[in-house]
Amino acid sequence: MTLTLWYALTGVALLVVGVYGLVSRVHVLRQIMAVNIVGAGVFLVLVAGAHRRPSGAIDPVPHAMVLTGIVVAVSATAVALAFARRLRADADERTDGAAREDEARAG
Amino acid sequence: MARRERTRPVPADAPWIVWTVVLPLLAAPVAFVLGRRGLAPFAAASSLGVAASVAALAWQVAAQGVQRHRLGGWGAPLGIELHADGLSVLMLVMTAVTGVVVSLHAHGTFGLGGHETREPSGRARFWPLWLFLWGGLNAVFLSADLFNLFVSLELVTLSAVALVALAATRVAVAAALQYLLAAMLGSLLYLLGVALVYATEGTLSLDELARGAPHASVAPPALALLTIGLALKTALFPLHFWLPPAHANAPTPVSALLSGLVVKASFYVLWRLWFQAFPGVAPFEASMLLAVLGTGAIVWGSVQALQATRLKSLVAYSTVAQLGYLFLVFPLVGGPGGLAAWQACAVFAVSHAFAKAAFFMAAGNIRLAAGHDRIADLDGIGARLPRSFFAVGLASVALMGLPPSGTFVAKWMMMRAALESGQAWLMVVMLLGGLFSAGYCFRVLARAFTPPTDTPLQPVPGSLDAAALALAVIALATGLFVAPALDLLAIGAPDVAGLGQDGPR
Amino acid sequence: MTAILWAFDVVLAVTLVALAAGVLATASLFRSIVLFIVFGLTMSIAWARLDAVDLGLVEAAVGAGLTGALLLNTLGHMRSQAEFTPEPSHGPGGRLALALAAGTAGLAIGAAVWAWPDAFAGLGDRVDTHLAESGAQNPVTAVLLNFRAYDTLLEIGVLVVAVVAVWALSPMRGRVLDADPPGLVLAGFVHLLVPVVVLVAGYLLWMGTDAPGGAFQAGAVLAAAGVLLLITGRVAPPQLQAIVERGAVVLGLVAFLAVGVAVMAGGHAFLELPDAWATTLILLLESLLTISIAIVLVILFAGGRTDAAHPPEDAAP
Repeated sequence: MTLTLWYALTGVALLVVGVYGLVSRVHVLRQIMAVNIVGAGVFLVLVAGAHRRPSGAIDPVPHAMVLTGIVVAVSATAVALAFARRLRADADERTDGAAREDEARAG
Repeated sequence: MARRERTRPVPADAPWIVWTVVLPLLAAPVAFVLGRRGLAPFAAASSLGVAASVAALAWQVAAQGVQRHRLGGWGAPLGIELHADGLSVLMLVMTAVTGVVVSLHAHGTFGLGGHETREPSGRARFWPLWLFLWGGLNAVFLSADLFNLFVSLELVTLSAVALVALAATRVAVAAALQYLLAAMLGSLLYLLGVALVYATEGTLSLDELARGAPHASVAPPALALLTIGLALKTALFPLHFWLPPAHANAPTPVSALLSGLVVKASFYVLWRLWFQAFPGVAPFEASMLLAVLGTGAIVWGSVQALQATRLKSLVAYSTVAQLGYLFLVFPLVGGPGGLAAWQACAVFAVSHAFAKAAFFMAAGNIRLAAGHDRIADLDGIGARLPRSFFAVGLASVALMGLPPSGTFVAKWMMMRAALESGQAWLMVVMLLGGLFSAGYCFRVLARAFTPPTDTPLQPVPGSLDAAALALAVIALATGLFVAPALDLLAIGAPDVAGLGQDGPR
Repeated sequence: MTAILWAFDVVLAVTLVALAAGVLATASLFRSIVLFIVFGLTMSIAWARLDAVDLGLVEAAVGAGLTGALLLNTLGHMRSQAEFTPEPSHGPGGRLALALAAGTAGLAIGAAVWAWPDAFAGLGDRVDTHLAESGAQNPVTAVLLNFRAYDTLLEIGVLVVAVVAVWALSPMRGRVLDADPPGLVLAGFVHLLVPVVVLVAGYLLWMGTDAPGGAFQAGAVLAAAGVLLLITGRVAPPQLQAIVERGAVVLGLVAFLAVGVAVMAGGHAFLELPDAWATTLILLLESLLTISIAIVLVILFAGGRTDAAHPPEDAAP
């Protein structure tokens, strides 16, 4: 088995674990981590595939794709976490009895 | 491919294909920096500027044929290319028309301050996000590169998610979060599909993929991953769970943009991949599976719309149902009459965008006037909100697929293709879907004919009703413009007639 | 030697999968996040093993560092409410079905990977052919800033959208950071560390055109310094009140677009860097991108504004 194949298959395994976790877990933080594990698996498949040049050098295009992918994933993760904090802040506010207008608005 | 041989754009031919993407992406950060100062005139000027660049590109494509641009001066496969053919232009025009009218509605909505969004400053947030979304949509419709489509779709998704959260209610933020997680998973599955394609084909260019014979043992799983990822982003039943809460709880102009346009972007990519980049890779059974899921979407979405208690939920579930039609076309494209089915799908996507966005705006106006959108409690206000209910009526006609709407023509073409290829069951599904949509539209329209009551109503600014009515009229009139749309679609259309080797003959 | 490397690969792969499973299975969320950070660091070893040093740097700084810090910060906010227990949302039958489905899909994808050709150049040869014209010696930088610069442009757009999204959610209730005042040791450490970090960022940026490194690596390292300053209370979180702060966020994107459009005036395609100017333009773009990326990452870490310190700028009608 080649280095490429070994790490690409590891990536697929991470994908399976991540998808299972995303669907089977309900806490939002764990779901966010699960999506990031899926992402790590996908990135690993991409970079492993870039390691097959006969010259021994790497194919830089998948590397650039993964770099872009990581930045995109971090952006989305940061937004998801901001939403999660906002939901928690609203919940805290509600326990304080400060605002109950949401339900009325949501009708 | 020496660098000097690259074709330079002739000065007389301005590269409008570039400007349609660059203008909104340049306007968005400027709107963000502006904050609230001078935002309204700037936003209006930007919207019109983007629309003008789309019009110029449409004219260019109609007059000169397919437009291409080698970004960075590198052609595919090393670089990324933008392509504008008839289908791209039709999608760009759909986005521009819907976008300009919804912008008018948004101007009124967010100008109201605390009515639509709990935050006082929704407007300062709305414009940068909507301009980013618009730039992302245009980028998707013009991209000819598998990975660039991933980045463009991410731009679309993240702006769309942020726009949902502008409503700032707890339900809206929760819906946005669910939407974001589903969309992230969809993107990653798509990206894995891209990885598998690149690992054997060594190119990301849609053109090169279309020309090459794909690696037989890798292409089907890759296309399956690409399809599942995009179906999740398009909210194809049963992967639609995230759509109704997000579209129903977003601020009204956002609901209109999301239901009309955003779901079409990922569908458009799917459409391109199946029929242009990987023609003939998917077995006929796979296209049948998509049609069966489309049928499920029509039935499930309609039943939910018939039972919805809130007006905006009803409209959101109607989107789930109407998206089903787009997937009914997959098994038809390979068969006899396949080109007509392919064209019908594009026409349907456009007229649905207009009708759905108009319906959402009208629904939002009713909600604004009544202070709620519980359908059961809307009795007696129809006569007092004639413009809003008239817009609902016009949009309903288009959604039900009655003439002269484009939906009518599109469904007619689809049904003929279904008969020609011997798949009459699809025709039955389409007729059934029409009945369903009549059912849920009449649930709303019936309220217009109840005797007036004197429930207090909020005044609705004229621009809000004008926007809803204008788009409803456009939706209704699309049927009259089907002929030029078909001419446009012929420019650079794929040879779908040769696709259906596996299809029933 | 080969045997040792093989043993290393096996251990690394097993560790990665075990850590991933641990992240999702551990009952305590705090432990789960710690495992996630370890997972990110282990990933950066895997990147190094695959000769992807560029990625290893980003993964360690952004993937593990920043995402981990964000997760811990969010958990800190959530702690006020409740402790969390593992949450099986499906019955055992449903979980079994789900595991079977995911496993089957994994096998199908694995089979496709298995069928890959062993030797495959991809676009690597083409990149090598044109590397001299690209203005960068590091092929990854050449792809990111020249051959596929349009991807990077849109990606910077995604970063800005993330900031607008987080900003749109404001005002946040309560303090952004639940940080205690730093002890003397930490304060002194930060005092020493920040200039070093800034130097490292500058080095990464400068070297990035020729060696592993570049705008993302430099921006991430710079952001780490910013986060340190933020945690230790040396600087206030960026509030995006001032036009200057918002301008810094969009600087990279606007400069990118401006360069792309400016070259068109010379008859070039959008984003076509003329050979003679390519190196200069790439360095200029990377410097501006570094600033924007660093500020964006710090804002994403801070996660919105605080009401307590500053009222929202447009609360007044």
